[in-house]
Formats: sequence, C-alpha cells, structure tokens
Amino acid sequence: MSKTYQAIVIGAGPAGSSAALVMARAGLDVALVERGSFPGEKNMFGGVLHRMPALEEIFPDFWDRAALGRHIIKKGVTFMTDDSSFSTVIEAGNFDTPPFNGYSIFRPRFDNWLAQEAVKAGATLITRATVDDLVYKDGKISGVTIVGRQGELRAPVVIAADGVLSFIAKKAGLRQPTFDPSQMAVGVKGLIDMPREMINDRFGLVREQGFANEFVGCTAGVRGGGFLYTNYDSLSIGLVFHLASLRTSGKTPYDLLNTFMEQPQVAKMICGGKLQEYSAHLIPEGGYDMIPELVGDGILVAGDAAALCNATGLNLEGINLASQSGVIAGKAVIEAHQNKDFSKRGLSAYKTLLDESYVIKDLKMSRKAPHMLHNDRIYNEYPELMCSFMESIYRINGAPKDNLTKLFLKSAKEKVGLGNMLADGFSAWRAL
Amino acid sequence: MNIDEIFDYTSFTIDREPHIVLDYDICTGCDNRGCVNSCPARCYTWSEEEKKMTFVHDGCLECGTCYVVCHRNAFTRWRYPRGGFGVAYRMT
Repeated sequence: MSKTYQAIVIGAGPAGSSAALVMARAGLDVALVERGSFPGEKNMFGGVLHRMPALEEIFPDFWDRAALGRHIIKKGVTFMTDDSSFSTVIEAGNFDTPPFNGYSIFRPRFDNWLAQEAVKAGATLITRATVDDLVYKDGKISGVTIVGRQGELRAPVVIAADGVLSFIAKKAGLRQPTFDPSQMAVGVKGLIDMPREMINDRFGLVREQGFANEFVGCTAGVRGGGFLYTNYDSLSIGLVFHLASLRTSGKTPYDLLNTFMEQPQVAKMICGGKLQEYSAHLIPEGGYDMIPELVGDGILVAGDAAALCNATGLNLEGINLASQSGVIAGKAVIEAHQNKDFSKRGLSAYKTLLDESYVIKDLKMSRKAPHMLHNDRIYNEYPELMCSFMESIYRINGAPKDNLTKLFLKSAKEKVGLGNMLADGFSAWRAL
Repeated sequence: MNIDEIFDYTSFTIDREPHIVLDYDICTGCDNRGCVNSCPARCYTWSEEEKKMTFVHDGCLECGTCYVVCHRNAFTRWRYPRGGFGVAYRMT
C-alpha cells in the first residue's frame, strides 16, 4: 500500500478534520489518517463545546449541521467539602437564545460528523491506521508509515494533529522528548444514563436546555476539580487532576471519582442514574509556555499536539483552539502548495496567522494562570472557607452574632491565614 | 464504580500484542512508581512482597498518564495500539 497525496493529516480529531476540510475544499488531495475504527472513537472530554469561530466561518449553518446535544443555559460553580457545598449559578436569558454559548456534545458523534464533512469535501479518510513514523527522502519529509502495514502514505507535507502526546512532533524534533507532569492533567469521566424527564426536573431545565457545573474542593486536596454536564439522556460527571500532584498524593483517580460521586450533595444529583461508560484522557495544561515548535520543514503541529489548550481555572478551552489551529494550518498548506515551498519558511504563514488569532493571544494573556493554579489552598482551604463562612451566616441558634466582616475574617484566619489570602488574591488578579 | 469491572463499562478490542512494554528491572529500582496510583485504569500493580511490577494492557484507556508520570523512562515500547484495537468509546 503506497499512495501519494498532496497533504497528510494525522489524527481525525477537531484539529485534523478541520485542517483536512479546509484543504479538501481548496481542491487538495488530502489523506486524513485516524487510528480509531471511526473518528472520535478514542476521544473524550469534559463535555461542553463553546463557540467555534473557525467552523462557523466555514459552515454558516454550523449550529444546525453539527452533531450537538443540549445548549447550556445555566452554569454553576460549587465549592465543596466532604459534607457541605456552596454553589453559585448563573442562568442568563441570552444563554437561551441563538447563537448559544455552548453545547454538551459526545466526541464519538461530533468528531465523526466533522471528519465526514471533510470526506464530503473530498478528503480521503483512512481509519484503523496508527501512524508509526515519518518518512524522509533527501532530508525532506516525504510521508508516513502505518503500524503493522506495508508501504507508506506519501505527501510533501504532514499536519501532526495526533493529540496530546504527539509522537510525531517528537519524531520531527519539534517537541521536547519528555513531558513535565506539572504541565499535564488527567481527566476521568463517568457517563451516567438518566431519563430525560428526570434530568429536566432535577436541574430545572426545559426543552433542549442544559446545565454545566464545575466543582472545587472535591479532589481530596489533589490539585484539580470536578464537572457535571447534562446531555439529553445522560450526565457526564468527572474529575481533572494535575498529574504532578496526583502522582505524589498516592491517591487513585477512580477512588477519588467514587468519593466525589458519593459526596451527599453530588449523590443526590446522580441518584437514579446508571454508569454506562468510564473514560480518561490527558489535557495539556501548561499554557503558552508549553507550546512546542509549531512549524518544521514539511510539517505543522496543531491542536492538543501543539498544547493549544487554555485552562484558566474559570474556563477550559481546547476544541475551539484545536479547530482554529487546524483551519489555519490547512490554509498555510494551501499557500505552500501555491508556492511549491514546503520548507519551514514556506509554511511559516501558520505561525504568523496563529499568533494573530485569539488562540495565541488568549494563551499569552493567561500565561500566568497555570502557575496560579499550582496552589494547594485553592483545592482545599478555600472551598472549606467558603462553606464555613456561608454556614456561619445562615446559622441561627440564639448565640449573639458577629458582623459579616468579623465572621469572614474569623473563618479566613482559621482556614487559610490572612497573609496567604492576600498573596493568593494578588496572584489571581495578576493571572486573570 | 468498581474499577475491577472496567470491562463492564467500557468497550475494548484487545490486541494480543501489547502496545506498551516495560523494562520491569527499572520499575523494581524505582523510588516513585507514580504509575501505580495515577493510572486511571489500574493497569499497573506493584507487589511489595515480591518486589515486582505487573502491567496489563487489556483495560488501557490510552490516556498517556503513565508515559508522563514515569520519570525513569521504563518503557521499551510506548505507542498507541495498532489501528482498530484498544479502547472504543461509544458516547462519552
């Protein structure tokens, strides 16, 4: 099996399929190579897809075409301890009018839909194909080999959209040979079956409305957080941990997930549901400082492979950045074909356009966020402070009351320490 | 959820040939073994009595946690399963 294309895209995720789609639409003969038996088979994420400017430009009717779930009208944050929780919820009227701010989606459906759009545009989708290595001819990239298969796929340019570990970027010498666990997080998720009416009643939803909630203080002191999203007929519930912190904690992701699901307030949310699927995935959370070399001779790196993920603690963005980077990479390859120059210089439009886009601008702006999030107090002491302060406000038991300031300072001194609090406030303000 | 019953929750097409191969001597000499607790699928078990690491690739979720937390580079092979094999998510 040897065949020649004008470009090879490794990985039919949001970055790869977006790239293949753009190139195929411009008339290039593109191979989109995917190791799963269908695109999305290997993919999972927290669960909410936000606005997708790159794809909305390609498909003016993107929101009608894509395989989506409920639109999120209600977003919450919960600070919790073993037995208490304090939640804030925003339900904005305009979250319920199009264009919606976000949807819950399933990756095996969404990624497959996007890849099929690339196929409709003329890309060749090759599934069940794990790329093994790059092939070089006269010192230039000339194609890729596939694990367990004879022959190779040939092309003068390759887009590595092969996901967070990107072995292809490593082989091309574009990323560092090892990862720093403090720049990585692992997410684990349970998909819980639940009747649609029960979800609507329980979370105060009607029609196709959805709810997304984040949790802090649910990871037994390991740096990380939790999430719960409503799908049509199921809930996605999970935890995300910073790997360096998880490693030293000695705790296991599944035990922590079980404890989270058994916390009394969380248990009530998922009660009556049945676990259908358990999944896990890495998240590149190192931000701007983690981004590898994006362009080499005959190769571009996009999506998670390029660590294009924005984790500020408030939002977690990745798919939108992946798709945007894929589209831009595709455009750079189209330009390189026009100029017949696949050198690093010939492909440099990728980096220029990416730098000008919100992808790199946002990552630069939140450059300090990953450091701020490496503060153990966020994951233990602050949730405890929130819960104990709120509890003391509402506690009416005949004892004379302190004023709110006194109450707060008392809780703060006890749980965090005033000096720590000032320092953390300053670092959060600087990071965000 | 009982992680021992992972095959009840998640589908796999298991390849006879493992996609991850360890040099167990390195694991025996490791002072950390963060893989044992960090792996979300409990593929790694360490026996303190036998001073022996056991690795099973069957329920591997292909997340890469072990690849990142292993600071001794104990892998003689770490690649994704060949096409069509490994974990298959249906709706997650």
